Amino acid sequence: MSFFAILLGIFEGFRVTFSIVVVGLCYAVPFAFCFGILQYFSKGPLYVAVTAIIEFWRSSPVVILLFVFYYSLPAFGITMSAFTVGSLVLGLNTGGYASQAVRAALQSLDRGQYEAGVALGLPRFQILWSIELPQAVVSMVPTFINLWIQLIKGTALVSLITMVDMTARAKEIAQIEYNPVGIYSGLLLAYLIICYPVTIFGRWVEGRNSQEKRA
Amino acid sequence: MGFDFEYALSIVPQILKALPTTFLVTVLCCFCAAVLAFAMEFTRRSGRILGYVMRFIIDAIRSTPILAQLYFVFFVLPFYGLTLPPMVVGVLGLSVYYSGYLAEVYKAGIDAIPRGQWDAAKALHLSRWDTISVIIAPQMLRNIAAPMGNYFVSILKATPYLAVIAVPEMLGEAFDIASDTFRYAEPILVVGIIFLSLALVIAQLVRLLEERMQQSLKR
Repeated sequence: MSFFAILLGIFEGFRVTFSIVVVGLCYAVPFAFCFGILQYFSKGPLYVAVTAIIEFWRSSPVVILLFVFYYSLPAFGITMSAFTVGSLVLGLNTGGYASQAVRAALQSLDRGQYEAGVALGLPRFQILWSIELPQAVVSMVPTFINLWIQLIKGTALVSLITMVDMTARAKEIAQIEYNPVGIYSGLLLAYLIICYPVTIFGRWVEGRNSQEKRA
Repeated sequence: MGFDFEYALSIVPQILKALPTTFLVTVLCCFCAAVLAFAMEFTRRSGRILGYVMRFIIDAIRSTPILAQLYFVFFVLPFYGLTLPPMVVGVLGLSVYYSGYLAEVYKAGIDAIPRGQWDAAKALHLSRWDTISVIIAPQMLRNIAAPMGNYFVSILKATPYLAVIAVPEMLGEAFDIASDTFRYAEPILVVGIIFLSLALVIAQLVRLLEERMQQSLKR
């Protein structure tokens, strides 16, 4: 097999990689905003509960979470498909990290913004929605892009729970043909093709953000 | 097949026996990654062309999954006749991966140092190495202690990846037990709980250290 044929073979797994990323994002973004905002507002027992949930998703290693959800939960009567486990675990893990970006961005806003809202007699929800969030989102974007790359890279792990993504395709090809150099550089290249543009985009956004701050 | 608590408890000691391996790998990786990242970051700053090359290398490391990198090192090196023990391959792979991230941390830490420090070093006619080691590095270390601590926790959490290349750390041990008894649920859950508690405890330690440093800076 030529290098190009190997690369094409690896990209046969792209559909799985791509759908896990998309579904994962559908878990990650709502989780990040819900729990980030809840952690920002809550006090006492609710704060402890919210923090505990976030820390669970953030502090456990993703591989282990994947295996626990895939192999251990069925013993408790909860059985999910590999696709559900993959997107759920990767999504919520990323969401846990992202929720901290949401909370930090809200906390770093000038207090005067909130006070001005109160002085205008706006209800608390509207202060959040039309004053705090729009400003906070701008400073969250670079972190979100980095986490998005993390999520894309994380999908390589679903190959360990029987899904045939790009990494699993590479391993399949490796079983047909002994060509480790071609196959595994092809695999690295395949991920580089997907993630590098996002990395560059992230740098660009970051550069623009810091320029605005200086101006 | 339900969950057997007695069985789960009975395998805890066996899994904990792999804990030293996990710690050893973590400490080695933290050290190697920190040193490697230091070299990478100062290469990136040293010359124009070399700087661009290094920048691409760092971005490339950060744009590919650790799993793919581990497979690459594990399967490609033997092809060229270099067969290393899995442990060495694992430490090498994880160190390279995290050095990409730590280089970025160093970059932020150095950018935060006022330009005047470089100028003053130049005015004193210090060599480039003296400037870096005596003037820049100490100030950088103070700036980056917190994010670096977070990455060290990440390295601890990344050690289970090494199970895929047969390093006998905790997850690998759990799979060994599982393949003996055909019960996967218990060993894996036990490893999960151990890792979660480890990560929480160490993250808490990092936070304490961070507060300490901030207090000593204020004085």
